[in-house]
Amino acid sequence: MSGLAEIEERIRPLLTDEPFKLDVAKHESTLLALLKDELSYACERSLRFRNYVERWPTDYRASRRVADLPFLPVGIFKINPPLCLVGRSEITRTLASSATTGQVPSRVVLDAATSKRMTRGVMTIIRDFIGSARRPYLVVDTPATLAGSGELGARGAAIQGLRSFATEVVCCLSSDAAGNLKLEAEKLLDCAAKWKDAEVLIYGFTYVIWNHLVKPLQSRGITLRLPNARILHSGGWKRLQQEAVTKEAFTQGVAAAFGCSNDRVIDFYGMVENVGVVYPDCAQGNKHVPSFADVIVRDQLTLEPVAAGQRGLVQVCSVLPTSFPGFLVLTEDIAEVIHSDGCPCGRRGTAFRFVSRVPKAEVRGCGNVETVRGRPVANGRPDE
Amino acid sequence: MSELIQAVDSPAEIAQAAARLREVALKKDLPSRTVMEMFERWSAALQGNGMESLPGAAFLRLWLRQGTLEPILERELGRDALNGGWREDGRARLRAFPLGTVGHWPAGNIEIQPVLSLTCALLGGNSCLVRVPSVLVDVTRRLLERLRAVDSGGILTERIALLSFDHSREDLQTAMAQNVDGAMIWGGAEAVLQVRALPFPHWTRVAVFGPRLSVAAMDAAVWSEPVERSSWCQRIARDVWQFDQQACSSPQVLFLERGKAGDVGQFVEELKRAFQTENRAHPRGEISPALTSSICLARATWLLENVSNKAWFSQSPDWTILLGEGADIPKPTQGRTLSVLVVDDLLLAISKFDGAVQTLGLAIGDAQKEDALAQTAGRRGVDRIVKLGRMHVFGSPWDGVDLIRPMVRVVRHVPSQN
Repeated sequence: MSGLAEIEERIRPLLTDEPFKLDVAKHESTLLALLKDELSYACERSLRFRNYVERWPTDYRASRRVADLPFLPVGIFKINPPLCLVGRSEITRTLASSATTGQVPSRVVLDAATSKRMTRGVMTIIRDFIGSARRPYLVVDTPATLAGSGELGARGAAIQGLRSFATEVVCCLSSDAAGNLKLEAEKLLDCAAKWKDAEVLIYGFTYVIWNHLVKPLQSRGITLRLPNARILHSGGWKRLQQEAVTKEAFTQGVAAAFGCSNDRVIDFYGMVENVGVVYPDCAQGNKHVPSFADVIVRDQLTLEPVAAGQRGLVQVCSVLPTSFPGFLVLTEDIAEVIHSDGCPCGRRGTAFRFVSRVPKAEVRGCGNVETVRGRPVANGRPDE
Repeated sequence: MSELIQAVDSPAEIAQAAARLREVALKKDLPSRTVMEMFERWSAALQGNGMESLPGAAFLRLWLRQGTLEPILERELGRDALNGGWREDGRARLRAFPLGTVGHWPAGNIEIQPVLSLTCALLGGNSCLVRVPSVLVDVTRRLLERLRAVDSGGILTERIALLSFDHSREDLQTAMAQNVDGAMIWGGAEAVLQVRALPFPHWTRVAVFGPRLSVAAMDAAVWSEPVERSSWCQRIARDVWQFDQQACSSPQVLFLERGKAGDVGQFVEELKRAFQTENRAHPRGEISPALTSSICLARATWLLENVSNKAWFSQSPDWTILLGEGADIPKPTQGRTLSVLVVDDLLLAISKFDGAVQTLGLAIGDAQKEDALAQTAGRRGVDRIVKLGRMHVFGSPWDGVDLIRPMVRVVRHVPSQN
């Protein structure tokens, strides 16, 4: 068993080297060794987690593939109290996923060391896509999302994760007493006039950008002249799909609103349970895994990894968390593996594309007892 | 029946089909014996031609046998009803007549359910208007093709109209409800409530077979006995595997009475071997991603919630055994996920049942103890108490309700010359 200090030492180079250049075999062996040690560490810290790992059909210590290691289903992060590998006094922040009304959000606890790694992880990845220079940072959200301490939502976490690229931060939305978001158009136009041809970083949740920035600007016939803007967005497509907005229409609409080219609009996939790892689209439209993480797409029937060209359930893997057992997480998302290696964009390793959320459970007929008399059974899942 | 299953898109098409069925039902008597003879032939026709691979086909063959149905008819309608005659009842005489056209809303999770449902109404001499769930269209067509092959005269097939339309089409659901004299409704809570709320004519008789779950229980004398343990485990595995544990009669939890002689660990190892054997014999062909997620979550939740809980499961979502203690029924996961709960007294677990439990599968060594358990289970809402390994044997009464009698009218004739 390796101690936490040794684990930290082994993670560090993965966060400082180029994130998408590691040879595929080396990537697998590095991750496998680290994840095994992290599992051992977690088993020592949590009896509950050890009980799960010890009941896994195979002994992780003998595993030869990352795919054989024991993973947790993402729904387990809704458990209360949240799964934790550190003492209460060491928790610096709790992150919560976005969940629609009445649904239980996922929650993960961070200590200082994990927080630091998370920030470094996001920086390392985003730097590979937009460069390392600091620049004005326009947040398509309210200032309240920046004031994060204690428990932080998914939107706040994503916004905070990009702060290290900022020379200044401007939020262009406000909210009324009922929580309705409103575009601060004059403030936005002032910033656009000030920044002009400068490199500008813009981030917002996908549906927030569309509903609270693009649509209001379109309705007023306004185009911001920010040709060097980089617009990053995340949070999923469910709400926009309900409005019949395709990814292509979104990209075109956003690019037109900011007066930049379509390739400057970058969708990325991420989740609080895998915080510190984000998956931006490359120029080919594929998502890649950095050296400190991995993605395994599993066949729903066998839970074995699928080959290129096939679809399945996404499992995310990350060596970054040590405050909660988020090393290996089976999500409720479906993706398609595009390449096991060799994306024309030059990034090594698995390339995949997000397909959809797992469709809601089908009606399971006469045996589907969701409620027992006088005892309702929760059956929630997050919207995005 | 020329198209076997008709995709409908307008209320008029449904009304037309219902009118034709009603005319047939009013015009011709259909004695139960005639139906049974035809069913016997249908049963034979369900052998071969790849029908074995069809989930539930073996069971349906057994159900359609005269030896199965005759005792049910005798018990529900009386011996004379087999030939369509009157039976004496003091100064009066009684005879069962069909309601007319019976509408069927089967659940989508049991492949043979549209057929099972319509057989109950046909035995009462009715015509059948069946909404076939989209996922069951192919399997239902294959089963009905075999009936058409043996029923060249159309004795039964002229009384059946199988319809396919989207469940969200309220206009079509309404048209179907407005044109039936009886209704057999099967399925989950949401589906059942939606169908029950349809505007049926005031005379329509409705039989509801709503969502239930089922439970197994073994006393210490049985599971501790090493010689018989293996065969009991095989029976449990069969009950879990059939219908992929999605039927109302599928056991979701097995209560084990704590005993001094037996080792629970040995029992679960035996059960695990039975699950592995059953899985090899009946591997899954497909699974929804949502069910895979649910199974993975059930495993993790069980082990992370309580460090004294244990579990055995395959690397794939094929099967799962969750071992712990307690007398409460956990939330069912389905998908071959069986909770095994050790309890000091089976009576304690059974006395907590609240009406959701349909079937109690038992393996009890002591007859007196079984009698006490059955009494308590009956009081606590259980409708079927059967031997483990026979939890899915479809029979009457089902859900505490007769299957044929609700779809007939028993006419009383007091002769005027008496």
